[in-house]
Amino acid sequence: MRQLYILDTNLRRNGKHMAEEQIIPISKFNKLKKSTSKKVTISVQNITVSYNGKIAVDNISMNINQNEVTALIGPSGCGKSTFIRCLNRMNDVIENCTIEGKIILNGINIYNPEVDIVKLRTNIGMVFQKPNPFPKSIYDNIIYAPKLHGLVSNKSESDDLVEKSLTEAGLFNEVKDRLNDSGTSLSGGQQQRLCIARAIAINPSVILMDEPCSALDPIASAIIEELIDTLKKKITIIIVTHNMQQAARVSEKTAFFHLGKLIEFSDTSTIFTNPKQKRTLGYITGRFG
Amino acid sequence: MSSIINNDILSPISSKRTRKEKLFKICGLSAIIFALSMLIILFITIFSKGYSAFYQTRIKLNINFNEELIDPTGAREITTLNTADYSKLISQSLFKFLNIDKNHPKSSEIKSLISYNSFLTLRDRVLNDPLIIGKTVKINLIASDDVDQMIKGNISLNISEENRKISDFQIEAINKLKSDGAILTVFNKTLFTKSDSREPEVSGVLGAIIGSFYCLFVAVCISVPIGVFAAIFLQEFAKKNKITDFIEININNLAAVPSIVFGLLGLSVFINFFHLPRSSPIVGGLVLALMSLPTIVIVTRASLLAVPDTIRDGAIALGASKMQAIFNQVLPLATPGICTGVIIALARALGETAPLLMIGMIAFIPDTPIAITDPATALPAQIFMWADHPERAFVERTSAAILILLSFLIVMNATAIYIRHKFEKKW
Ligand SMILES: Nc1ncnc2c1ncn2[C@@H]1O[C@H](COP(=O)(O)OP(=O)(O)OP(=O)(O)O)[C@@H](O)[C@H]1O
Ligand SMILES: [Mg+2]
Repeated sequence: MRQLYILDTNLRRNGKHMAEEQIIPISKFNKLKKSTSKKVTISVQNITVSYNGKIAVDNISMNINQNEVTALIGPSGCGKSTFIRCLNRMNDVIENCTIEGKIILNGINIYNPEVDIVKLRTNIGMVFQKPNPFPKSIYDNIIYAPKLHGLVSNKSESDDLVEKSLTEAGLFNEVKDRLNDSGTSLSGGQQQRLCIARAIAINPSVILMDEPCSALDPIASAIIEELIDTLKKKITIIIVTHNMQQAARVSEKTAFFHLGKLIEFSDTSTIFTNPKQKRTLGYITGRFG
Repeated sequence: MSSIINNDILSPISSKRTRKEKLFKICGLSAIIFALSMLIILFITIFSKGYSAFYQTRIKLNINFNEELIDPTGAREITTLNTADYSKLISQSLFKFLNIDKNHPKSSEIKSLISYNSFLTLRDRVLNDPLIIGKTVKINLIASDDVDQMIKGNISLNISEENRKISDFQIEAINKLKSDGAILTVFNKTLFTKSDSREPEVSGVLGAIIGSFYCLFVAVCISVPIGVFAAIFLQEFAKKNKITDFIEININNLAAVPSIVFGLLGLSVFINFFHLPRSSPIVGGLVLALMSLPTIVIVTRASLLAVPDTIRDGAIALGASKMQAIFNQVLPLATPGICTGVIIALARALGETAPLLMIGMIAFIPDTPIAITDPATALPAQIFMWADHPERAFVERTSAAILILLSFLIVMNATAIYIRHKFEKKW
């Protein structure tokens, strides 16, 4: 029963590698997944990451569903950031960081040396913990990546794309009169939405968010959460958060990490109401972490 | 409760602490005042010695361009016009003005009131416009440096004649010229339009300024691209290992190498090995480039390091390659810092004398350089050489040249500060 987990592929396809990599051991797959109605976007297989030989993420396998929000929770230092950064190969720029295992996106192992890392990152966007707009105008912040990848060819296309991205990020009305102001002149929450707008401007199928609300006040966080809710119709979202309520509110699936290991991964409602593991229960009830 | 807090505030410990703090403040303040007053004293001495070099004494004479003396045949051939005895025109006019016979025993003293080179002024007038021959024209001629110094009050008239640079007879003549309104004090254009000369009154810093400018130009063209790209590579691309550590240590050490060593290097490599022309700004510029290179590398690396990693991550996560992230996002943010560092490194290079010594740029070079391979000197070198001359006229020119160099340095440093404040980004 080798199902077709291959989605419309934006990635460069390579028939030879596809043939062997789309084969996912079904037994393992079924163990991890409860509802099989959704298609898999990303399949993580035995990922181990170590810094200078010290293991930070230990043999993690999980499947991330399309158009769902997957939350990663766990105590500080348990490897959530390290793990999420594996998904768009951001760890490649860190020296002394070694990654083993496979991550299959649309049937292709993204750690295949032939994968075009630029294409990969245009498919999997990322939003960071600290808002990091470029100290350029709001307009330039948005249009930088589309220009880089040749997605726009003239001024009016650029204008349209900027407006569309900002609108989708729910920021357009707030900044439409000052698109030429510096991105750093915005408030923290606006900056974070600018970063989201910047990420969706290149039309990714997945967005990784590493604690996107940790530098924001509750109101700004609520706006981002709403935004996540609307974005997930189009985009698969993986979010790291320290805020249990947030995880419970925004996500369909929740993964609990501890000391580099994936302790429990299932539907959010299950994790928060009826966790299988003691450690999960301890963490979500605030007894450790 | 409140009384306890009050007691605590008034405790002896806290008053002791305040006293200590006050003492520290006073020490700091006095150090600053001391440094500032030294600086002010320096400026005042240089300025008071040098400002008089910016004006100059001229003697206004009616020169009769006597055709018989210049070109008796009337053929107006260039060689005749070139070799005519223009000095004689000047002395004739001077003698006539002062009512002195040309066979007067002290007539040579009178001739020497006018700068020896003044005949060149007349020759140029004639060569420019031969129709002037036969006419009488009023011309302001540069007075000799002794006259200039006397007019400026730098020669004491009370000491005996033998110990004085200027004789009683000359003084009498000068006074007559003065009372007839023939002595003028004008802005010293010569200082900026002429190069070095044995005669102080016609010497200027143009050659030195051009030499310095050429040196800096060569230094910028070489050290900025090499330094900046080396720094970008080391900071952003090179893997951290033994080799890069070694390179880093060496760059830091190079920044501390005495500049004369770079001069020696220039001599043995550029002049003796590559046979580049001695005393030329190209060699000077190469040496200064080598000298500023470590500073530029260090400053560029520091500016790149100051750009937060979140900017790199942000660009890379958007699908930019590492190179694109650095050149599109990081480098623009580091540029103000790099510019500041480069300007400060170059300002240091501009004031450098020792390395120029080794490559022959500290030399008497009366010609203004045209190409970067022409022999030239540089501003600090010119100052160094003029400081060697005992004449009062050179003393004031030394100070004037220092003032000119200082103003260049101030302009450069002010630009650096301006760039730093204007373009500094906050994140
Ligand atoms: N660049 C790095 N070099 C070396 N070790 C690192 C690096 N980044 C992370 N680590 C280590 O890897 C482990 C996991 O770190 P990670 O940042 O993934 O934790 P995290 O779960 O995101 O924690 P937090 O919730 O505090 O963000 C930690 O022990 C950390 O010290
Ligand atoms: Mg983290």
